[in-house]
Amino acid sequence: MSNSHSDTVPLHPSSQSDIDEIENLINASVQSGPATVLPARPPSPPRASIPVSSTPFIQSQIPPPPPQSSSSNQKVPTVAAAPPPPPPYVGNSSSIAATGFGPAPNTLTEPVWDTVKRDLSRIVSNLKLVVFPNPYREDPGKALRDWDLWGPFFFIVFLGLTLSWSASVKKSEVFAVAFALLAAGAVILTLNVLLLGGHIIFFQSLSLLGYCLFPLDIGALICMLKDNVIVKIVVVSVTLAWSSWAAYPFMSSAVNPRRKALALYPVFLMYVSVGFLIIAIN
Amino acid sequence: MDLSQPVEENYANPKTCFFHVLFKASALAFYILSTLFANSFVIIFVITVVLAALDFWVVKNVSGRILVGLRWWNEINEQGESIWRFECLDQEAVAWGIFGIFSMVRLEVDYLLVVAVCFSLAIANIIGFTKCRKDARNKIQAFASRTIASRFSSTLQSAFSLV
Repeated sequence: MSNSHSDTVPLHPSSQSDIDEIENLINASVQSGPATVLPARPPSPPRASIPVSSTPFIQSQIPPPPPQSSSSNQKVPTVAAAPPPPPPYVGNSSSIAATGFGPAPNTLTEPVWDTVKRDLSRIVSNLKLVVFPNPYREDPGKALRDWDLWGPFFFIVFLGLTLSWSASVKKSEVFAVAFALLAAGAVILTLNVLLLGGHIIFFQSLSLLGYCLFPLDIGALICMLKDNVIVKIVVVSVTLAWSSWAAYPFMSSAVNPRRKALALYPVFLMYVSVGFLIIAIN
Repeated sequence: MDLSQPVEENYANPKTCFFHVLFKASALAFYILSTLFANSFVIIFVITVVLAALDFWVVKNVSGRILVGLRWWNEINEQGESIWRFECLDQEAVAWGIFGIFSMVRLEVDYLLVVAVCFSLAIANIIGFTKCRKDARNKIQAFASRTIASRFSSTLQSAFSLV
């Protein structure tokens, strides 16, 4: 592999292993993109200083890479005089070919589909973790470790669209109000928990509050299809309870036990107001 | 050293550039020409924001990989693509900022919402790439200094072994 890209000077046999070592060094320092994304992996893997996935950058920018510098320092004394420019090229071509672009002359869509599929599977796994009963719910440190903001984005836009379609007048205002209420509400609720001295990560909490909208999305869809007031009230009550149940473990464990109600009440209030919006639209 | 190694990655660049610009330009164009396409604000909002989000994702994942990969090459060989890309990010954020000011002046709060979302996506990309670039530059410097030091010491060793 390295010989195909090297320059015309044949390499000394002892430098071949050094080139491999330098390749490993480069591969270790260049984030090669997670091939498999586990739902409960730690939020800050030491190598991930370069955002390759679709999660916003802050998650992967936090840790400086001390482990890899120490490991590469151990490798350095054994590296012999392989000239610096070709090995980085060799290493990078292999890492780039391996990570994302596939065989380079092919179209760009091949690796992009892989990324899309990985992102979609992450959305589905996050949804299952947050909204449906599963063994990890009681451990909020594990749930939504692998947060992303695409799921919340889709759910907020879907809820806005559903409310807008249900409305017979002022469709634009309904959509704008729903979107702004949910987006600003999520930010304010997260700030509320942070100001109460709670320990959450900002984007993780935004992600959670967005995913917990999924039951209300279902409720809004049913209410759009079936216009009876009694049915609407029942459906909205059930989905509201479901949303609150989904948000409860995470929010309550993030704060001091004496301040649990202060953190949970605004969340419940926001979902209740969305519920009223769903019922009142006609 | 000869500069023919990054040939394969350079083949990928035209398509990358095309996609990089496509979603950005279509988000801005759709926002500006929105009244030609749709009467409803909701449609305008959703399509503009979805295009901006797709552009954000493309820049982050696709251009980010090229940026990271190519930056190693560019620092050692030639500048060019990465700088262009980074400047383009700045211009896009400035464009959305100007649209935000326009919509504030005209007191169109719902369009201000659209612009705020697109602007925050552009700013997020810029901040991410600034950090990425600084980080990559530090890594390159550290790597170069390490390899230069190791090369120097091994040259000394080989010089002493010959003597």
